[in-house]
Amino acid sequence: MRFLAIALLLTCIWHDTPVMAGDPIGWSGDWTRSRSGGSAQWFEIRGTGGRNNPLRRRLEAPFDGDQLFVRFELRYDSSSLDTPSNGNGEFLVLWLDEQDGGDAAGHNGGVPNIGLHVDEDKNAFMARYVSSSQHFADIELQGDRVYTILAKASRSRSGSGQPYDRLSVWIDPEILDAKAPAIEVAAKNAIGSIGWIGFSTGMKTERDDRILVSEVSLATTWLESFGLPAPVAPTPTTPKPATVQTLTATVNFADDAYPILHRHCFECHSGEDPESGLRLDHYDEILNHLSPRDADASHLIALIESSDPAKQMPPPEDDHAQVSADEIRVLRDWIDEGVVWDHQLLPTPAMQSDHWALQPVRRPEIPVVPSARPFRTPVDAFTARKQQDLGTTPAETASWSTLQRRMALDLTGLPSSAFPGLEQATSHESLDRWIDQLLCSPAYAERWGRYWLDLARWAESNGHQHNRPRPHAWRYRDYVIQSFQDDKPYDQFIREQLAGDELPEESRCLEATGFLAAARYSGNELDKEIQRQDILVDVVNTTAKTFLGVTLECAQCHTHKFDPFTIRDYYRLQAFFTRGQPGNLLLADAPAETESWIDARWQLFDSVHSRMVAQKRSAGVPEPVLVIPKSVIGGMNAQERQAFSALDSAIASIPQVWGWSGSDAGVIVAPHEMRWPLPRDLQTVAEMKTYLRLRGDAKSVGPEVRAGWPAVFGPTPDEATSRTDLADWIASPDHPLTARVWVNRIWQWHFGTGLVATSGDFGTQGTAPTHPELLDWLADELVASGWSTRHIHRLILRSNTYRQSAAFSQPNHDSDPDCQSLWRWTPRRLESEAIRDSALSVAGRLDRTMGGPSVSDEDADEAYRRSVYLPQQRERIAESLMLFDSPAAVATCSRRRVSTVSLQPLYLLNSEFMNTISQRFADRVRNMATEDQYAETALRLTLGRDASDEEAQKMTQYLHDHSLESLCLVILNLSEFLYLN
Amino acid sequence: MTSNPWIDRRRFLYGGGLGAGAMALQLLRHAEAEGANVTHHPATASSVIFLFMSGGPSQVDTFDPKPDLGVLEGKDVPESIAKTIPKIKRAGLKNLMGSPWSFKPYGESGIPVSDLLPKTARHVDDLCVIRSMQHNNPVHGPGECVALTGTAAGDRPSIGSWSLYGLGTANESLPAFIGMNLHTDGMQFPQGAGWGSGFLPSGFQGTIIDPAKGIRHVNMPEQTSEQQRRDQLELIRWFNQRHLDQSGGQSELRARLDSYETAFQMQTSAPELFDIGQETQQTRDLYGLNHPDGKTVGRACLLARRMVQRGVRFVQVRVGGWDAHGNIKGNHSKMAARTDVPIAGLLADLKQRGLLQSTLVVWAGEFGRTPTMEGRGKGRDHSPAGYSIWMAGGGVQGGQIIGATDPLGYVATERPVSPHDFHATILHALGIDANRLTYNHHGRDEVPTVFGGEAVGEVFAGHVG
Repeated sequence: MRFLAIALLLTCIWHDTPVMAGDPIGWSGDWTRSRSGGSAQWFEIRGTGGRNNPLRRRLEAPFDGDQLFVRFELRYDSSSLDTPSNGNGEFLVLWLDEQDGGDAAGHNGGVPNIGLHVDEDKNAFMARYVSSSQHFADIELQGDRVYTILAKASRSRSGSGQPYDRLSVWIDPEILDAKAPAIEVAAKNAIGSIGWIGFSTGMKTERDDRILVSEVSLATTWLESFGLPAPVAPTPTTPKPATVQTLTATVNFADDAYPILHRHCFECHSGEDPESGLRLDHYDEILNHLSPRDADASHLIALIESSDPAKQMPPPEDDHAQVSADEIRVLRDWIDEGVVWDHQLLPTPAMQSDHWALQPVRRPEIPVVPSARPFRTPVDAFTARKQQDLGTTPAETASWSTLQRRMALDLTGLPSSAFPGLEQATSHESLDRWIDQLLCSPAYAERWGRYWLDLARWAESNGHQHNRPRPHAWRYRDYVIQSFQDDKPYDQFIREQLAGDELPEESRCLEATGFLAAARYSGNELDKEIQRQDILVDVVNTTAKTFLGVTLECAQCHTHKFDPFTIRDYYRLQAFFTRGQPGNLLLADAPAETESWIDARWQLFDSVHSRMVAQKRSAGVPEPVLVIPKSVIGGMNAQERQAFSALDSAIASIPQVWGWSGSDAGVIVAPHEMRWPLPRDLQTVAEMKTYLRLRGDAKSVGPEVRAGWPAVFGPTPDEATSRTDLADWIASPDHPLTARVWVNRIWQWHFGTGLVATSGDFGTQGTAPTHPELLDWLADELVASGWSTRHIHRLILRSNTYRQSAAFSQPNHDSDPDCQSLWRWTPRRLESEAIRDSALSVAGRLDRTMGGPSVSDEDADEAYRRSVYLPQQRERIAESLMLFDSPAAVATCSRRRVSTVSLQPLYLLNSEFMNTISQRFADRVRNMATEDQYAETALRLTLGRDASDEEAQKMTQYLHDHSLESLCLVILNLSEFLYLN
Repeated sequence: MTSNPWIDRRRFLYGGGLGAGAMALQLLRHAEAEGANVTHHPATASSVIFLFMSGGPSQVDTFDPKPDLGVLEGKDVPESIAKTIPKIKRAGLKNLMGSPWSFKPYGESGIPVSDLLPKTARHVDDLCVIRSMQHNNPVHGPGECVALTGTAAGDRPSIGSWSLYGLGTANESLPAFIGMNLHTDGMQFPQGAGWGSGFLPSGFQGTIIDPAKGIRHVNMPEQTSEQQRRDQLELIRWFNQRHLDQSGGQSELRARLDSYETAFQMQTSAPELFDIGQETQQTRDLYGLNHPDGKTVGRACLLARRMVQRGVRFVQVRVGGWDAHGNIKGNHSKMAARTDVPIAGLLADLKQRGLLQSTLVVWAGEFGRTPTMEGRGKGRDHSPAGYSIWMAGGGVQGGQIIGATDPLGYVATERPVSPHDFHATILHALGIDANRLTYNHHGRDEVPTVFGGEAVGEVFAGHVG
């Protein structure tokens, strides 16, 4: 297309079209040229048989910047070309020199030369400083073709007069090629300024050669060399971190404010048993009653100034001196100046708690309990002790087929028929071997990884109203699955997810930071402080609940009523995360030039953005003039948009993950699409400070806090400020909560209920453990095994406790109706994913491919991927999952609910999906069995057991009247199929 | 032979062909979502129709006339009012803009309504207009969560879920809380929290249906005959009953057995609900079904009435598109064409059938809009500082106005009402004291109004100040 346009232009310029008879025809003025380019002035060059400079031009003033881009186009007629094998080849160069030197001057020896010369047996593109050292591109010159040549002469050392000792040349460059020139040359000596640019021909340039060159264009930046706007300083979109007025302190706490508080308040409101439980000699508590920097809004002042005797403090009926006007003024100033406290004078009392979960884990003795059956693992001894206490007797071992199905579904989310040979495991020992086999299967990692994704409230969209997709979020899902596949030590799993970007290079793990970045993010929030604060609150709440099993949400607004967490604890924990934010992080295997694409993309964006802001401003749009990214792209001219979308799609194709990073980690961040995105300048983010937010209101800024963990866990060392420090503390073997919380979650996912039923709340409002010693023993085993999750699985799955039948017993039920002593296996409904995957598996339509971008059922062909690979866009999670209680991925989910509603049978009976699956299931049965065995085969594939005579008879009877497809649909609706028995 | 397989199924169960049959029958009425089923005082409404106007209808162009705006056209908000506006983004202070519509009084009460909504205006004597709604979240998504759940995070139960939890189900063959999301082509994605059940069991969440298609999966596949379905259900029940017996009668498994019965009933009752061919032409015209702009909302409003007639407790009709940033006149005219006739039709129809007495109808957006112009267009930005909603039926004293905003319509100045107050008011109509309706979650008794909220007593007839 471009060539056509040029050919047309050439025709007009160089060939007089015969004027046909009629009116005379002529021109008025020069060509009118499009401002966005598209045409060029061409010059024809011929050889003279010797050294000649046919075309040269002087710059307005000698150039002395650090880099100069020179661009021109070049075309050789085919007839002009002779190649070295049958001629002596071609020569033409463009030079950049300090001087002109006249028609025959030789511009070489430290002078950048860009052009064509003979390279062995071909004419090739060349760059050089001295004729003795020529560097060639692999590209051979062809005739009748227009080449675009772009060269950059630059200085290795910046500064006026320094030599232009670096030369890069691109042939037909694309916007993405900044870091990929076709030729690069360096020189020891080179010219230090550029005054003239010209073309040279030589001995090899013949008189009858027809060489066309376009006018030469100059630029000082890569983007401008493409006719794009010059970069501008980015518009500062980052607001200053929460601005806090620093007033000159006039009040000294110890000398001025303290005596007043002491005189009027402390008599009643201090110490461990204060009046009305309200304590004012405690920094965290007094903050609940005043608003730093705003005395008018402070409850304490309102009470002191109140004229209502019922409210006034100190109470007027006491023979207590009232607070004087001068004293009130001091207190007001003290509050307005930010509530400076003297922590030496009034230290915060060490927070202490005798709550069980905060005490160190102590490895208990394994109880010695008489038992009818030998214990298979110490787990049995602990459960036997509890049964003894409650007077219950354990159920018998379940049938082998029940156990095969239970283990397969529990560990992999697939029915036993998915594992050929498992049906032959008819002893405890062979089942033990199968545990290991199942634990090593990818299916195990896909099922147990999904549990973790519930905790991580992981999703592939931002949530909130725009709910833009996160196309790179799937890599975190794959990271989690891989971690379970590898039995990654749990402490390492914690470190990677909280601080994977900060870890040393060899163990760096950016994918893992998808845990933090899974927070929702409102793209329609103009207030950047609220936008950031919302994300940080989500991150803190999720981190605390996931790893520590504590509910910190309440402390966001006020010192916790029940648990020993203060509002200051909350924001101190937040301080570990303040200096980072979510974004698309480039992974280690991203090509080196990606950063240059991202830079160019932002430069182009910023230029157009500032142009549009200026236009709107001059059109009278009131401040602040806001332009959303979509409008910026819409405001680009064709050339800009083409370059921009080339850059954007190239960047999008690079491996990256929706993760979390601060500026310290030096991670490269690719753009993401948002209406009002977070400011992208990580440097400013790195300088952000953390403030207590009164009543949880982002706009009510309280005193600054430094990073620290809740005080009840003891003092935080001064040097602990990074997320790595936080992760190290959480992952420490001595932490009272981390190991307990994790083994309890594992227990819950095996048995349906944890030893602590409130698996996300180990605080005082949670339930107490049913087996505190077993919990501690497992926690100790976890740490001692090197934090091996598989080790805990084995201890549980090998036990008699796990292998009991679900047989009901009235006497046991009478003594222990909630089955706290685990006197039987409690059947429970499978999770949504296991229901769908099991149905696909028995129908032979499950595609077991692991990993990669999510795939929806609409895109599925003959086979369907496992449910964990279905798209997880918030508000659009697949119906088949939501109907069976998949979480909405908004907040961390420790335990799924089980709902039983009639929309479920409607789906299971009538949906196209279930009916298609039933047909495939029937096809499979027909291929596997003879007609008289259809029913039994279908039942065995689904339930992993043989049909009883009565069942076989019922089903055979059904098949008299109805199709096998119809029977298959019935079987997929059975409670036994949907439950883990 | 009847064509209703459900009836045959009953006959079979009554026949007691199998011992378990009789037992299953006793369990049939086991509620799917067993709520608190409490009333704290006599209810004035048994159902709610919540007309949620997503995007934020402008108060000064609908129910809160501000003639001063026209006088001050193009001027800045005076300092006296500017200083009262909460410091939230989007609260523009430049270029006051008068309403393109004029207001006139309607009905006996003489409550003024703008020319934008002439049909709704005729029912003004049944409306209680609250002009002083107020919160502080100016963003659609979180704002919608505030309006429907009470918190911006959207992690608590929706008002519909609380209502259902408090009331329990009245018709087990239909979902008790149904949502319809209409005109969702705009920027404002419906927020799942708006019909979510939060920490309440998921049986209390809203069921979203497409008014054109009905409840999903309610129709049997074409190749399935009724006889086959009957036999399928019998075989499923036979197996599931054995499984239930072996489990020692676990309640969840029993509920599952029952859910097949309910689903089966729904196969009949749901298509009947959606068959608006049973309605007269006059009724269909009343709802604007003959009009291209109004037919979508019209169909949903007509279905809402049919649902309420059949005992559905909470119907939420969400109409997207009120986000008038660029052009208030164009946008709101379009939205009025979509909603005015259908909503007026709903009020008229409920009234003529005597259903308005027992049905609380509420009309509200997530916030209102600024009295100022946004940028250089003729639109208005989001503003939660003072906006108007209305309530009707279900014990509401119509023909009254509660609360007021400042002379520009920017900030609520008299009797501010928070979304929490509003939720408590809805529950109050249902006979529920929001402070006493509790659900134990993680060891804590949660109430709908954990962040405050008192019912606005004046809303109701017979209220004694």
